[in-house]
Parts: sequence; structure tokens; C-alpha cells
Amino acid sequence: MHRSPLPADGSRDRTAPPRRRRPSPLRISTVVSRVLIAAVLVVQVYPFLWLLQTSLRDRQDFASANPFSLPAQLTFDNVVRAIEQGDLLRNILNSLLITGGACLLLVVCGMAGAYAIAVLGFRFSGLAKGLFLLGIVVPVQVALVPLFIDYSRLGILDTRAAVIIPLAGFALPMALYLFLSFYSYIPRELYEAATLDGAGPYRIFARITLPMSWNTVVTVVMVNAIFIWNDFIFANTFLLSEELKTIPLGLQNYIGAMGNTDWTATFAAVSITVTPLLLVFLVLNRAMIYGLESGASKG
Amino acid sequence: MLPHRSRLSVAVFLAPPLLLFGGGVLLPIVQSLGLSFYEWDGITGLDFVGLANYRELLLHDDVFRTALVNQLGYLAICLLLQVGGGLLVATLLISITRGREVLKVLYLMPAVISTPAIALLFQRVYSYEPVGLVNTLLNAVGLGALARPWLSDVSTVLAAVSAPEGWRFLGLYTVILYAALLAVPKELEEAASLDGANPLQVFTRIRFPHIMPVFVTTLIMATTYALRGFDIPFLLTNGGPGQASELVTTYMYKTAFTSGHYGSASAISVIIVLECLVAVGLILLLLRRKAA
Amino acid sequence: MKRKQFLALAAGAATVPVLAACGGTSGGASSTAAAVEGEIEPRPISWLLSRPANGAVISIVSALAEEYAAEHEGFSLELITTPDRPSYIQKYETLAAANELPELFDTDATPFAAKLASVDRMIDVEDLLTQLGVIEDFRPAALDYQRFDDGSLHMIPLEFGVELFWYNKALFEDAGVEVPTTLEEMVPLCEALAASGVTPIAVGGADAWPLERYVAYQPFRLAGPEYITALKQGDAAFTDDPGAASARWLAALGEAGAFQEGFSSVGYADAQALFTSGRAAMYNMGTWELPNLATTELPEEMHERIGFFTLPVTDGSVTGPDEFVAPSGIGVAVNAQTYDPLVRDFLGFVLARYPEEYAKSGLLGPTGIEPAVPDNALPLYQEAIDVAAELGDATLMPWDTQLDPSTNSRLQQELVLLVQGDITPEEFLTTMDDTLTKNAPKYFED
Repeated sequence: MHRSPLPADGSRDRTAPPRRRRPSPLRISTVVSRVLIAAVLVVQVYPFLWLLQTSLRDRQDFASANPFSLPAQLTFDNVVRAIEQGDLLRNILNSLLITGGACLLLVVCGMAGAYAIAVLGFRFSGLAKGLFLLGIVVPVQVALVPLFIDYSRLGILDTRAAVIIPLAGFALPMALYLFLSFYSYIPRELYEAATLDGAGPYRIFARITLPMSWNTVVTVVMVNAIFIWNDFIFANTFLLSEELKTIPLGLQNYIGAMGNTDWTATFAAVSITVTPLLLVFLVLNRAMIYGLESGASKG
Repeated sequence: MLPHRSRLSVAVFLAPPLLLFGGGVLLPIVQSLGLSFYEWDGITGLDFVGLANYRELLLHDDVFRTALVNQLGYLAICLLLQVGGGLLVATLLISITRGREVLKVLYLMPAVISTPAIALLFQRVYSYEPVGLVNTLLNAVGLGALARPWLSDVSTVLAAVSAPEGWRFLGLYTVILYAALLAVPKELEEAASLDGANPLQVFTRIRFPHIMPVFVTTLIMATTYALRGFDIPFLLTNGGPGQASELVTTYMYKTAFTSGHYGSASAISVIIVLECLVAVGLILLLLRRKAA
Repeated sequence: MKRKQFLALAAGAATVPVLAACGGTSGGASSTAAAVEGEIEPRPISWLLSRPANGAVISIVSALAEEYAAEHEGFSLELITTPDRPSYIQKYETLAAANELPELFDTDATPFAAKLASVDRMIDVEDLLTQLGVIEDFRPAALDYQRFDDGSLHMIPLEFGVELFWYNKALFEDAGVEVPTTLEEMVPLCEALAASGVTPIAVGGADAWPLERYVAYQPFRLAGPEYITALKQGDAAFTDDPGAASARWLAALGEAGAFQEGFSSVGYADAQALFTSGRAAMYNMGTWELPNLATTELPEEMHERIGFFTLPVTDGSVTGPDEFVAPSGIGVAVNAQTYDPLVRDFLGFVLARYPEEYAKSGLLGPTGIEPAVPDNALPLYQEAIDVAAELGDATLMPWDTQLDPSTNSRLQQELVLLVQGDITPEEFLTTMDDTLTKNAPKYFED
């Protein structure tokens, strides 16, 4: 039952609907599932709409009226304040650079490691797997002080590398496991056939494993980009200068004396800064579909 | 094992991840393991205290004990929402034909919102004065008697701080499980349907066994993230009222950065690592037995 | 040196000799004296700080730094800003542990800071201010707030404020109550206000410090500032009279419904909005909020309604009605290890000009210069400013800057339970004394 490779399924799936006529008793379950899908959609999307609405709401109105009611009138004051007081563009750029860098490092290392462990295999592959597993379970907070001291010795404090390395490092075990579990869907026969044709480990990686990994790469990037994009604790510890601040750090610019925060401006900033990641996701989503198609045509 | 591999090729592929992992993760872990046998305030000298930090935590620290129990509650809620919810939603998505790709991204939306904004949102969702979303809804359906300050009531606060974390990453686990479900061969499902299997049976006999490797990964991922979960409870209640929503992780953060007991905080993190290892071991053991 | 020890440990455990090999250069100047000889050599210096990104302090100091840089080529002041306090503390303690604190850094007069001072990591600011000839300009209360228990001064105050009880006259009238003169009167006062259907006191419980102020009030009136000094070292107990009175008073306030329901998760801005929108009758807050509390920007009907009173006394108070909380905010410490003629010269330049510039912001400053009241201020603004001139000698030190951090975090959590009625005053006192005996002696011994 593990015969058919992943990409082929994905593409078949798109042409499946016409063949999928089901007997009438299933109608009720269809209705129920549609309702559930819609309900989940509301729960997942409403907060975002609330965020948008609040970022266009007058500051006084937000403070005094029920925050979940519709605003009396819309204003762009918050957006203006958010842009004036913050340094959103630079924050976004830094977040993109750090997220991009960490994701790249993560994907390269995760893919290579999973290939070595699952496809190439070696005597201590079980041990290596276990070692990486250990990394999944380590709470990041307590590594901060040792890491800080190590980085100050290495002289990489207050550089993007000081954030990218631990972010990618701590995400690596999970990414590696995702690759490992998705690689288990690639049938061994493919490798065996390639080997008979005389392909070596590098060619097999380039010809078979890599093209079949795009789907997983997108999943790994989507999953980890979220955590990396939102990271506060590493950025707050290892970045000192204003020029390197990421979005989560930049959002603090709206905190006033003794913790009195300009919430509507914060929300405006959040709304603005969420956009790039959402766009990336939409693009990735497209890429995933293309990846599936090209993978299918090759396979 | 690939027949034509060479030692060099294994090394080429294994070196980058080992280097990153060794330098970025293992090294600081070993350092903090070492630190857990010391008492250190970050300013004055290190004192070697052997296992005293562990003894103190496990035997004499009532907050730590409360935090351990709370973390399990937090874990249960996160797992239910993330893995249970994710599997349900992924299955629903598979069952429809149009718009799934768009829905998938929409479901991910909470995950891209920064944590402080999520914390503030939920502070208002649970608020009592001014009336928040939950209490407004309760009043609207005639259950006004249940209205309460969810984050200040010691009996509800733990569930209240856990739910946002579960909700937030529901979409993420949906995406992963959905990708796995896509890989289930359609012929198998159709053959089973033709044999008279109902949708539930198709799910339990065909789909679920097929996605097992990914499901286990997801389960491990959600479990270990929940056992290390930290930021939303920290921002929403900082462990309060009393210790009703104190988690091992928030307690560790405070032990390190509020109290300045780095040794003791390292000991807590070692305990978290052990806790996670036990949990992962249990998951693998249970599921392997089931699969056998 | 502790860092060498740590690195040796780290390296030993991880078998990475590279780290140990380069761990030798941590010495640095151990002198804490403000006098320093030599040429001024301009270089970039940094200031680790926790203040609003666009607040008056940052904009004034940055502007002055630019002026200074124009005259001293090669000088620049890098700001490492972390406005959120918990994030700031994490950063501060990490930098301190790695011995990487910059030339200037913000800190409260906490026991942690006192430890830093005790290992000669910060210079004596009393000395510095005296040598620069500016110490007389500072308000004594502003300096006292920064002092450690031994009376030494290691931080420069850049702000100042007095904490007042703001109240809504109309709501008081509706409930038929008067401004309280004693702390005891606050209990029936809150009962009456709650009965009239409003929140008696708005408090931002999510930040912990606003509620923690209340626990200090009874002891300060009954026993003066000495009680907390003895308590924090474990030389007094929570179960002693002042502590017990405080617990009973807070439980009574809680029972009277003094604070809004669910206060423990209400943030600073929301609590303030409760008061400024006329839904809460009282609000305990410092004068740094004057621009938001005594301004014509508030809804019209609030203009006439807002008033303030100072911390009530008790029967047999040992402190006077003119003595209460007057904080000078987070202070600036000067790193002794990087202190040189440049840092000294720069601080001299800034401190000579700062008070005048700060007064223009309209806020009370650490020196006696009268602030420029903004155009949109209510008459109340000036009245509140005038209170600062009449302060008595005793300073009420907020407990969160006094207790050891472990006891303090436990206190913050237990206080909520006490006020919510989840625990009795007796349980509260027992738990706190247990926590205190466990942590205080250990923390203060070195």
C-alpha cells in the first residue's frame, strides 16, 4: 500500500472530483462537514478581522467602548502613529532576512541530515536520530545564558547570525523529523532502480530525493517560518542595536511610561507586519501546487 | 542503505546538520546541564552544590509541584485542540473539493499574529470588566450565570491560558496532517468504499494507518511544544492568580531571570527535557504496540 | 572571576577547549571612584535602557548626545532600548551574567543591583554628582529613591513623580461619600461606592506593581520605612503587626469589592480607561500620567470631576500625610569597568543641560526646576505638580524594589488570592513568612 509516490497522489487529487460521486446518505455528513469547516473558518479568521478593525478604530473609542462592537467610525490615525513611532519597514526587512536565512539553513541541514539517515544509512544512524530527537525536547529559555556567553566569546553578538544559528538549530530536529517521516513515503524501488542505472548518492539526491521533497520543503518552511517570524526571546537576547530589531522587538516601540501601551497603534503595526508573511504563505501555497505537478510529470 | 554510498558522501550530508545542531543546541544544553549542579546568581561566584537544586525542587518546592501538574493540564488541552482538532479539520478539508488551498492558509492566520497581540486579544476575550467576548456570548444565549473573569478565577484560568495556544497552532497541524492525507492512495479508499466501508471505517482502516508516521511526528511535535509552552500564559497571567496557571516553563523563566537562580533554573530545564523524553517514549511505545 | 569559572565549567563539560583558551581577559578596572585621570578619547558608547522609545528622556539625551558628538569626533551614543520591563530584565540579567553590560545601564535599586554594586561593577554616583557639581540640583527625594540600604548612591535619577489617588468627584457624590482621611475609612468608602454600582478602585493587576503598592501602605503608616528594610532581610516577619494589619486591610478591601472584578488580568491602559471613562471612582497613579489624567483631551464632563488626594494616614501613624510614594523611576548606573574620562565628561555635559530640557516636557523632573505646564492641561495639573514641593522626609519604597526577587514574585501572586478572597489573611501571612525565611537570608547573606 505504500506503492504510489506522494506527488502522483497530489496531482490525481485535483482531477478526482468528477469520479467522486457518493450515495445520498452521505449528504447529511456533507452538510455537517461544510458547517464545521465554516465554523472553524470563523474561529480562525475572526481574530484577524478584529485586529484589522481595531487598528482602524479611534483610540478613545477603543478604550471606552466594548472592544468587540463595531467602531463608531474608522480612522487612519493609528496607522500614521504606528508608522511614525516605529520603524516598521526596517523591522519587516530584518524579520524577512532572519526568517529567510534561518529557513534556508534549516531546510538545507534538515534535508541533508534526513537523506544521510534515512536514504544513505550508516552504522550509527539510529544514534544520530536519537541525538537529534533530544533537541526536540529542550526548552530554549535556559540555553540563553550559556549561548550568550559563547557568542560574546565568538564575537557574533548583535549580528543576524547570532539569531539565525540558534533559531535554525532549535528548529532543526523537528524539521529533520518531518523530512524523515515524509521520506518514508518515497518507495525504495525508485532508489534501487536508480542504483542499478549506476547513479551515486549525489545524483540520486539531485534526481530523486530533492525533486520529491518540494512538498515537504514547503511544509517545513511554513511550519518553521511561523515560529521564527514570531521569535522574541532569541532576538531580544542576542540583538542589541536598533538597526537589527525584528518585528516582535519593534512592537515594543508602542509601550509608553510604566507599561502604558498605545494598543491601537500596536494593532495597526501588527496588521501591517503580518502582511508579508501572509503573502509569502500564499506564494508558497502556489509553489506547492506547481511542485506537485512538476514532480508528477517527472515521476 | 544505499549500496553505492561512500563514507565521504555520508559525511558530506551529515556534517552541516551536525555542526549546526552541535554548536547551536547541544553545546548550550551540556553547559546548562553542568550549571544545574551549581548555585549561581550571575554575579558572584559559582558554588558547586551537587544535586541540591534537584532535591530542593522535587522535595521542597510547592510551586514547582503545582507547576508540574498544571503543565500536564496545559498539555492535554493543547493536544486535544492541535492534534485532535488538526486531524478533524484536515479530514474535513480532504472531503471538500473546492477552496481547500485557500482555506488552509486562512486556517493558518492565527499563527502569523505576534504573540503579544494574541495575548492582548485573549485578555479581552476573557475579560469581565469591560465585558469580553466569552461573557457577552454567554449572556446572549441566556447562560449569563456562567459569566466570570476567566483569567482571575483559579478554577478556570488554566484552561483559559491553554486554549489560545491550542487554537493558535491548530492550522499548523492541520497543514501537516492534510499534506499526509493527500498522500493516501485514492484507489485504496475507493476500493474500501465499494466494499461497503462507511467513512469512519475508511478513516480508521485506510487513512489513519497510512498517515501514521506523520501523525506520530505531529503528536511528538505538539507534545514537546506543549511541554515547553511558555509565552501566552506568561503574558496573559504570569502564572497567577496564585499559582493557578504557573507552568514549569514560566517558573523556570522566573527562576532564572526574575530570581537569578541560574543553577536551579537549569535543573528545571533538565527536568523538562526528561519529562519530554518520557512523553515521547510513551507515545512511541503506545503507538508501536497498537500498530503491532 | 566568575566568568572564567563558568567558561571553564562549560568548556570542561562540553569538551570544547577553544572557549577556555580565550576566557582570560575578563579583568577590567575594579575602581569605583568617580575620579578618573587622563585624556578624553572619543569612542562609541552604549546605554542599555528601559524607557518609552519616543519618551522625553530618550529624545532629550539623544539630542544632547548628538551635540556632544559634534564637538567630539568619534563619539556616539548607541541606545539599546527595551521598553517592556520583563523583557528588559531578562536582557539586563543576561548581559550582567556574561559581564557584557555597556557603559551606561538602567536599573532599579533592587537587591540584584546592590549585588552588582557590591562587586564593584558600578561607580559611586554620589561621588560623581558631587564632583560634577550638580548634586545640589537634585531633589533629595529623587536621590533617596535610588539609594541602597546602606545609603550609597549608584544610580542617577532622570525622572520624578509623586503617586496620588485620583478620584471622580461626581461618583463620590452619587454614593454620598467623602475623601478618606485614614486608610481604615477606605473600606466603608469602597463598600458604599460598590453599592452605588461603580468600580471603587481601578487597578491594573496584570502589571503586579500597582496592587503591590497597597500592601506597603499600612506598614509604612504604622511602622515607617524601617519595617520593610527589616522584613526583607528576614529580621521582621509578615506576621508582625504591620504585616498582619496590611493583610487584614487588603482582605477587607477585597471583600468590600474595592477593585474591579477580574482585576488581576487587567492591563495598565485598560485600568486607566476605566477611570478616565467614569466607570471607576478611584485610581492610584503617579504624576507621570498627568498628561493623560489632567488634560482637556478627556471627555468634557470629566474635566470638572477629576480630583486627587494623597495617601491617607492611620490612627497613630508614624509617618505624616506629606510622606508617601515619590519614585524617581528607573535610574542610570555607570559601568565601573568601562568608566573613563570620556564617560565622565559626557555625563557632565548631559547632566548640566538635562534638567532644563526635561522641564520643557511638562513632567516633574529629578531636579527642582518647575516643569512647563502644557497648553491643554486642566488646572489640576499645576496642583499635582505643587504637591511634589511639599514632600516630607520619609520615602515609601515600593516593595517590589525591596524584597528579594523570589519572595517578591510569590508576594505578587499571593496578594491576588488574598484580595480575591481565595485565601485568608492567616494563610497569606504563613505562606509569605515561609517563602521569606527560605529566600531572604540566602539572598542577602553575600
